[in-house]
Amino acid sequence: MADRDRIPNPCKDLEENLVLLHYGDLAGAEHQTLQDHLASCAGCTGYLKELATLLPLTIKADEPSQTFWHDYSRELRHKIAAVSEKPSWRQRLSSFFQPWPIPALAGAAVITLALAFTFGKGIWQSNDPPKDDAALIEALPVAENLEFFKTMDVLDDLDLLESMGNQGDAA
Amino acid sequence: MNPGDEELVARAQQGDRRAFEELVERHKQKAYYIAFDFSRDREDAKDLSQEAFLKAFTNLKKFDGRSSFYTWFYRILVNLCLDYKRRQKRAPTDTFDETLESHMEPSHEPKKPRSPDQQVLAGQISRKVGEALEALPARQRTAFILKNHQGLSIKEIAELMETAEGTVKVHLHRAVTALRQSLAEFA
Repeated sequence: MADRDRIPNPCKDLEENLVLLHYGDLAGAEHQTLQDHLASCAGCTGYLKELATLLPLTIKADEPSQTFWHDYSRELRHKIAAVSEKPSWRQRLSSFFQPWPIPALAGAAVITLALAFTFGKGIWQSNDPPKDDAALIEALPVAENLEFFKTMDVLDDLDLLESMGNQGDAA
Repeated sequence: MNPGDEELVARAQQGDRRAFEELVERHKQKAYYIAFDFSRDREDAKDLSQEAFLKAFTNLKKFDGRSSFYTWFYRILVNLCLDYKRRQKRAPTDTFDETLESHMEPSHEPKKPRSPDQQVLAGQISRKVGEALEALPARQRTAFILKNHQGLSIKEIAELMETAEGTVKVHLHRAVTALRQSLAEFA
């Protein structure tokens, strides 16, 4: 707080112009009026001195070497070259409509479809049987029974042969 | 006789990369120092100023010459610096480290050997200055840095910030008042 108390108090209405005066941005009548005022105002004079002490402290000096600047330029040249060689999105879009990609894409699409139909047959087939097959499924057990009866006929024939054989033996 | 910025810009707009490289050579130091005043870090200042040049290069066709190349380019740079500050606020890092303290010297004064006490004081000032500048609103900080650090005229700052000269004066005054309060102990 003691430090705060030591801060000279400038005239409030002149503070903005005092800042401009510090930076050399005040000219003409305003400059002359302020200079006249400063001759008799300790607060404003003290404020101006304080700005002269304090504001340079806010600047952090940096002095890069020649090598730094050399590398800076070289690095930036490479970046600019890279940017200028890279096609823009417009160029990339327009290159898409150039004559060669369309037939190439069409050819690729045809080949893809042909391969898909050839090798993807099993994948796309539904597990549900088609409606036409329903009648076949119903007829299948009957067909199997027919087979059974046919087998039965054969067995009957065998019995007949056997009995005929027995009769032959008996004779 | 060296061609002016306008001529170089016109040539660069026609695809002459060398003309743009000449513009870079002319403005690189000033661009770097502005970026350094905002970032207070050498690597960040280099990246920011180079990014501004690249952005200017890729958007050069859009430059219509209504303002000077200087104003147009430094507007790009300052906007990048303010974005950088915003990003940094979202992900705060230890900006004001010890390496900063070794650079802390009053403006353009020759470096003198310092006692350990002076070094400690310089470190304290550096930290405090950094914090005080960080605390300023973006437009106040911009006006202050461009005036106090770069010595641009009020008119130039107004053009760059796309605002009225009176507004720049108000920003500058408010920034100085805030910094004066923050740094009162060093006055």
